[in-house]
Amino acid sequence: MKILFFAALAIYAAATVLRFIGTAFKKEALLRASFIVFLAAFAVHTAFIVARGIVARRLPLSNQFEFANAFAWGVALMLIIVRSRMKADWLCVAAIPAVLLIMTYAALQPMEIRDLMPALRSAWFGVHIGSAVISYSSFVIAGVCGLRYILAAKKNAETRILDQMDYLSYRMITLGFLFLTIVILSGAIWAEQAWSAFWTWDPKEVWALITWIIYAVYLHLRLRRKRRGLFTAWFALISVPVVFFTFAGVNTLMHGLHTYG
Amino acid sequence: MKKFLSFLRSMRFGVLLLVLIGVCSVIGTVIPQGEEIAWYAQNYRSFHGAILLLGLNKIFSSWYFIALLVLLCLNLSLCSLLRLRTVVKGKQTEREIMASMPDQQILSGEGLSLLRSHMESRHAREEAKDGVTIWSKNGFGRYGTFITHLSILLTVIFGALALYTPTTEDHNIMPGETLTLSDGTAVTIDSFRLTDETGRLDYESMAEITLPDGRSSGLVPIRVNHPVSMGPWKLYQQSFGTTGSITVTDLSTGGTDVFYLTDMSFLTADGHSGLWFDVLYPDYIRDPSGEVTLITLTEGSYPNPIYQVRVIAEDVNTPTLAVPGDTLEVLGLRFTFNEPVEYPGIRFKHVSRLVNGLLVASFALMTAGLYLTFFCEPVLVKADEKGYAVGGPRPERMRIELEGLLADYTTEPEKEE
Repeated sequence: MKILFFAALAIYAAATVLRFIGTAFKKEALLRASFIVFLAAFAVHTAFIVARGIVARRLPLSNQFEFANAFAWGVALMLIIVRSRMKADWLCVAAIPAVLLIMTYAALQPMEIRDLMPALRSAWFGVHIGSAVISYSSFVIAGVCGLRYILAAKKNAETRILDQMDYLSYRMITLGFLFLTIVILSGAIWAEQAWSAFWTWDPKEVWALITWIIYAVYLHLRLRRKRRGLFTAWFALISVPVVFFTFAGVNTLMHGLHTYG
Repeated sequence: MKKFLSFLRSMRFGVLLLVLIGVCSVIGTVIPQGEEIAWYAQNYRSFHGAILLLGLNKIFSSWYFIALLVLLCLNLSLCSLLRLRTVVKGKQTEREIMASMPDQQILSGEGLSLLRSHMESRHAREEAKDGVTIWSKNGFGRYGTFITHLSILLTVIFGALALYTPTTEDHNIMPGETLTLSDGTAVTIDSFRLTDETGRLDYESMAEITLPDGRSSGLVPIRVNHPVSMGPWKLYQQSFGTTGSITVTDLSTGGTDVFYLTDMSFLTADGHSGLWFDVLYPDYIRDPSGEVTLITLTEGSYPNPIYQVRVIAEDVNTPTLAVPGDTLEVLGLRFTFNEPVEYPGIRFKHVSRLVNGLLVASFALMTAGLYLTFFCEPVLVKADEKGYAVGGPRPERMRIELEGLLADYTTEPEKEE
């Protein structure tokens, strides 16, 4: 089964290389090919997740490897949906490498399948962690939009294109924010059932709250029209490392109730 | 005063509070919370005085953190009221404002019919008056930000109540034993198991809870993630442990008693002779020569338990090892070593169900509020024979959508001098 994971990783890497070459040499055919390869990688990746879920007989979202793997899959899925709905091929140049980066992080984590510990066997498991996948993926796509905005603004791109990038970044943040709220609230209800308290100031909880606050500040600042554009693009971009820290850094550097492996 | 009130309810103040709460939260995760003072002295050396003085070791219960939360509540309350007023006022006037709004884009006839069919396909409500058509969509969405802010306020209030008002106590209860709580509630643990039918770790206590008024829960399972509520109490399966068990028989009377041995203990009748319990080891290896090696780590299980005890008789202290089933006799007392007993650690929480219910209702309200705010954006589109304009509380999405749809049919209106 691991072969599916590494095959997906290798095909994502191929898609990234094709995308870079296509972008550097402005070859339209290569750019199209890179997306087709990316879709193939996504199909293999999906097959791996399904297979792992069947073997584990649960949602494969329980440890750092499984979450990182699902996170990469979530970013890939968001990219496919947004690209097709908004005709935003410009996302690919940064989003495909982002998927590869997260997959590489996943590859460095222990991969063995373990039984869920009793505290994780709850109906909230899927809601809480599934929402986190959607939320973090949305924030990554928003950051990618921010990066593209900054690069496009430097090249004096059309206002209509810039507005579309800015708005897409905002939409992804609203989606991510809604799901991050669901993550925090469902986690609170679950924590009350498992640990007897809605909130324990556990590092993971606090960093989820910090991430929520950062994006709440973004949403409020963006209400002012003059702040839209470069400012919000930078904001969306530099918030992404906070999301990564909440996801990976807290588990690695801080000890708490969410340290599951 | 007016200026001060205006600042208190302003978005700028709200954002400032959020940033300060965020900064405190970062500090609260970087500096470990709630450790002993000596720990900070050892790990932070010259800074530990400042940490203790500023309360950074207990930042989430410090006065300034609570003050920030109170100010946030104040800001949210004032802001929510203001929002509601603005929303209600805006609803009454926005159609008139929209009708008189100049066109933002000039449309060809073909473009106008495309706009019309698009708005129909989006199920927008249509009103036509004096040659002007106004479509409105997601009217209820205008209450989204109000509901969101109100729900955050309620979450902070009920969250604080749910966090700080309950009292909790943890107790280890041996199977077959009854614990009586301070209010007279009695809890009997009938049995406890560590694994389910398939051998998977899944601890469960079967318990009976009897309230002071005599109401009883009957035998109910308490499992991780599945607490049991009875009266004002909520019982959680929190932890578990394994302990040694020895049955003592008085040979002169025939009376017996069972002792659970979690710590070092001396079992005696006269205060001088008896059995001193040291420790229960989970496993051991006996080599061919009969030498025993005691093993402490077996990942929580007790495959071959062995008791390390000392027999004390007539001032002679004899170290001894015993396995379940063994018996020892010491001056009129018989000690029978039993199989180790697994016992649950139960958390008792005295809780207000009303507060918990209101908090969960606030969560639901917040989710609904955010959905309305971000995904039901209230918008108005006006079209006349020349062109169209997009307005209303949140027009951005529709504006971008229509710009893309009608790009081939529009021209920018001439700007008036």
